[in-house]
Amino acid sequence: MTARVAALGVAAIAIALVLAQDLYPATPLYHTWQYALALTLALAVLGAYANGARRGDDGVRGRRLLPAMAGAATVAVAGLASGLLGPDTTVIAGTPGTVAPIPALGAAAFFSAADADAIARGAGTVTLRRRNAAEIALQPAARRLLGESLVYLELRPAAYVDVSDARGAHLTVTQPTNASFLSPVLLFGARQRIGALEVPLDTFATPARHLTVRALYFTPQALAQFNRAGAPADQGRPALVLSAADDRGNPKGLTLAPSGAEVAVGGLRVHVTLGTYPVLAIAAAPPAWVLIAGIALFLAGLAWSALPH
Amino acid sequence: MRLVLVIVSTLFLSACYNAPDAAASGGGGPSALAGSPAQSFEVRRTDGRMDSLARHRGQIVLVNLWATWCTPCREEMPALQRFAREQAGKVVVLGIDQGESASAAAAYAKERGVTFPILVDDQQQYGRTYAAIGLPTSVIVDRSGHVVQGIDGQMTIEQMRAAVARALAARK
Repeated sequence: MTARVAALGVAAIAIALVLAQDLYPATPLYHTWQYALALTLALAVLGAYANGARRGDDGVRGRRLLPAMAGAATVAVAGLASGLLGPDTTVIAGTPGTVAPIPALGAAAFFSAADADAIARGAGTVTLRRRNAAEIALQPAARRLLGESLVYLELRPAAYVDVSDARGAHLTVTQPTNASFLSPVLLFGARQRIGALEVPLDTFATPARHLTVRALYFTPQALAQFNRAGAPADQGRPALVLSAADDRGNPKGLTLAPSGAEVAVGGLRVHVTLGTYPVLAIAAAPPAWVLIAGIALFLAGLAWSALPH
Repeated sequence: MRLVLVIVSTLFLSACYNAPDAAASGGGGPSALAGSPAQSFEVRRTDGRMDSLARHRGQIVLVNLWATWCTPCREEMPALQRFAREQAGKVVVLGIDQGESASAAAAYAKERGVTFPILVDDQQQYGRTYAAIGLPTSVIVDRSGHVVQGIDGQMTIEQMRAAVARALAARK
């Protein structure tokens, strides 16, 4: 392998590593020392090759590759700066129908209202409103680069809970430990380990009946594993395992609540609708114009070096 | 040697960097809503008619979120009833039951001699939108439909008068 091939290979890998910040922003890799080290080593290799090429060690082709090396180095530096100095990825879990300020973006995030049907369809959206700027409606799977921040939605498990007493009288659902006290939508911000499984956990209360209900979210796959441990079978739908307890912590019942079904637990009739609701994630990302300029320079250098001389 | 320096500097910068993911959530309680447009939802009243905050645009409204199981709400209700009578024609009081059946809310209101409108928000839309962190929660809305103040917890009649004073003093 010649030094040229090695340098070009390293340049391509460095560019790919930095582009991954935009393409796969949820990966925690970019803020690690290993990522920084990889890009630093790449910069060192590119610098060493460019130094030799400048002196004529790789002939005319090597000299013509100098812009390509500069382009790749630009991209690598941008990625390094974003990974090292950019803010940590922030996840904002807003309750449906609420607004969360985001000082880092100079914006407010409006989390769309969601009833049981919207939760089941995963139809929640988030709209960013900024002063003197057009509002941005974010959809799941879409990403938007705002300055040096990449904003995107991640769908998380959610449940809409409807509770009534044994006579069918509707009951207030509260979430005393969550930011949104009166939301009937569970967003499962916690997790609980059960044997080898780790499942999303949330809690709601029915103050009128002095009951607290813990809700564990099981995907069909997780439920299949749980079934092997003796739990009742389900029909391939996600389900909640609900366990009710009174104010003193005395257990008042345990049941499996498949999505769409009404179940009884602790003297309550609980109807759960399972689905998803988005959280807003904000990740540091290299500025797009720097990446475009760097990659353009890299490709131009490659093309120039390939021309006959 | 230069290469070693570059690598050491980078590792040093990495060590200064704090990596774990941060998590944040919306919230801030009803007091954070001051100045924002008041959200409105169409819900049924205990008398069977539909009503919403938006239908009272042009009037000063004291929205009181409550539930029958809430002890401070029970204690606050007589003061709220007196306030509603005292301010009739100047301030509209809307009681909005959170998450319960219309029959439960109606029986409760009748038993306590409540005469102001009671709305039944069984989906708890007002409660979550007005960032209630407990019950009762009160929100003062001015004539233009903006939140003047959000108050968490039980109020005395003096506090209710003080809460609407600024909105009343504002020019029509």
